[in-house]
Amino acid sequence: MPAVLVQYEAEIWKAIIETFAMVGASIAAAVLIGLPVGTLLFLCRKGKILENQMVFSVLNLVVNIIRSFPFLLLVVFLIPFTRLIIGTAIGTAAATVPLSIIAIAHYSRLVEQSLLDVPKGVMEAAISMGASVKEVIFKFLYVEARSGLVLGLTTSIISFISYSTIMGVVGGGGIGDFAIRYGYQQFKTDLMIYMIIIMVILVQIIQFTGTTVSRLIDKR
Amino acid sequence: MIKLHKVSKSFSQFQAIKSISLTINKGEIYGIIGTSGAGKSTLLRLMNLLEVPNEGDVEVNGQQLTKLTSKSLRQARQSIGMIFQHFNLVANKTVYDNVAVSLELAKIPKQERKNRVIECLQFVGLEKLLDKYPAELSGGQKQRVAIARALANRPEVLLCDEPTSSLDPNTTAEILGVLENVNKSLGVTIVIVSHEMEVIKSICNRVTVMADGEIHDTVCIEPAGIANISNSPNWFVEQLVKGGE
Ligand SMILES: Nc1ncnc2c1ncn2[C@@H]1O[C@H](COP(=O)(O)OP(=O)(O)OP(=O)(O)O)[C@@H](O)[C@H]1O
Ligand SMILES: [Mg+2]
Repeated sequence: MPAVLVQYEAEIWKAIIETFAMVGASIAAAVLIGLPVGTLLFLCRKGKILENQMVFSVLNLVVNIIRSFPFLLLVVFLIPFTRLIIGTAIGTAAATVPLSIIAIAHYSRLVEQSLLDVPKGVMEAAISMGASVKEVIFKFLYVEARSGLVLGLTTSIISFISYSTIMGVVGGGGIGDFAIRYGYQQFKTDLMIYMIIIMVILVQIIQFTGTTVSRLIDKR
Repeated sequence: MIKLHKVSKSFSQFQAIKSISLTINKGEIYGIIGTSGAGKSTLLRLMNLLEVPNEGDVEVNGQQLTKLTSKSLRQARQSIGMIFQHFNLVANKTVYDNVAVSLELAKIPKQERKNRVIECLQFVGLEKLLDKYPAELSGGQKQRVAIARALANRPEVLLCDEPTSSLDPNTTAEILGVLENVNKSLGVTIVIVSHEMEVIKSICNRVTVMADGEIHDTVCIEPAGIANISNSPNWFVEQLVKGGE
């Protein structure tokens, strides 16, 4: 192993763990909140089973606003909110707040798009068989849209990794922050390149896994 | 079995169904025919409240669907099967699961579900294909799965919206045969919407002709029987030559 990596091994591991924590929290938020929000966005559209112009417009607007913020500004803008729930605005835990919020907005849009790809007729068949809203969602929509949902999540996770790299500004740490502090600011270009390699490998693994899984579960 | 009483349906400004009343008796094979845009599909979809009427009452199996709570409506729909032109199967579920899901919705216990799925697939002649996905089936086979799915909850009524319109003549005859069998051996009342005269003439005993959202006329007919179309290449040649004469 190259000497610099050995020298900074402890810090590198710490950075990797921080990245995993931040991205993990983003994924959890995306799945636990982004998925329901995206589903609601879809179902509240005109002509859909929960048609509700009001709810749709509000969700749509909020998601758009969050997504149109330059992410760095969003992080700064959310500091008071972060302090309110975490107790501090600094550190890895605090960094998960803005990351989770962008994750929800990001993934919910992709969920909405995947659900729009489900043929209208499938939902009609479900309703004609007497399915409830919950059954339409879980037994039909998600089954039919599952490969799109997985691909969307894959795309989202890769964006989350990218977002996590700038969390150094609020002391969130992570690989990106490490690369900037040691590699860039201390002119250890080789160290920076190694960090970039780690990120590239990580993204490759995630993309490969996502694409493979989505292909395997797609029977359409 | 099905009674529509002064039912109207508008889409924004456009009135697609104009105060239609009709009665369909138990055991009938009832046809609805008319040009494109006449309102046939809309009329059919009013029969299970896929379209909610602006005015009028819809009664099926002695229940006023228009007066039911959403929960009872969902239950009532389990006794009203429906099939579609484009089959509308769940592409990510196997043939078995496509049929089983309608039993799940009706809360049928798992053990009984299995027997019923097999029974329904046998009825449509697809018991060997239960592990296949819809993408691996022909159009006729997909429609058979859809029929099995619609029959799984032993409905009183089967609504068919252009059930053969995306099928070739041979397969059309096959599917019409299955539908006739559903009516004769299971006693299911069938409503068929089609723009194909041949289809309607072959198995219906009463037919409503629709135009511009209204009933133009309703006639009783003697079903002509399903035209026997041969599979053989010679038959195609004969037909072509005959046409040229
Ligand atoms: N969801 C809808 N929104 C707006 N207009 C609709 C809707 N569904 C049907 N219509 C209109 O209502 C009229 C009747 O439609 P319907 O689908 O019942 O016709 P159809 O007789 O089944 O025709 P086709 O043979 O083409 O299927 C058409 O003019 C159609 O444009
Ligand atoms: Mg139609």
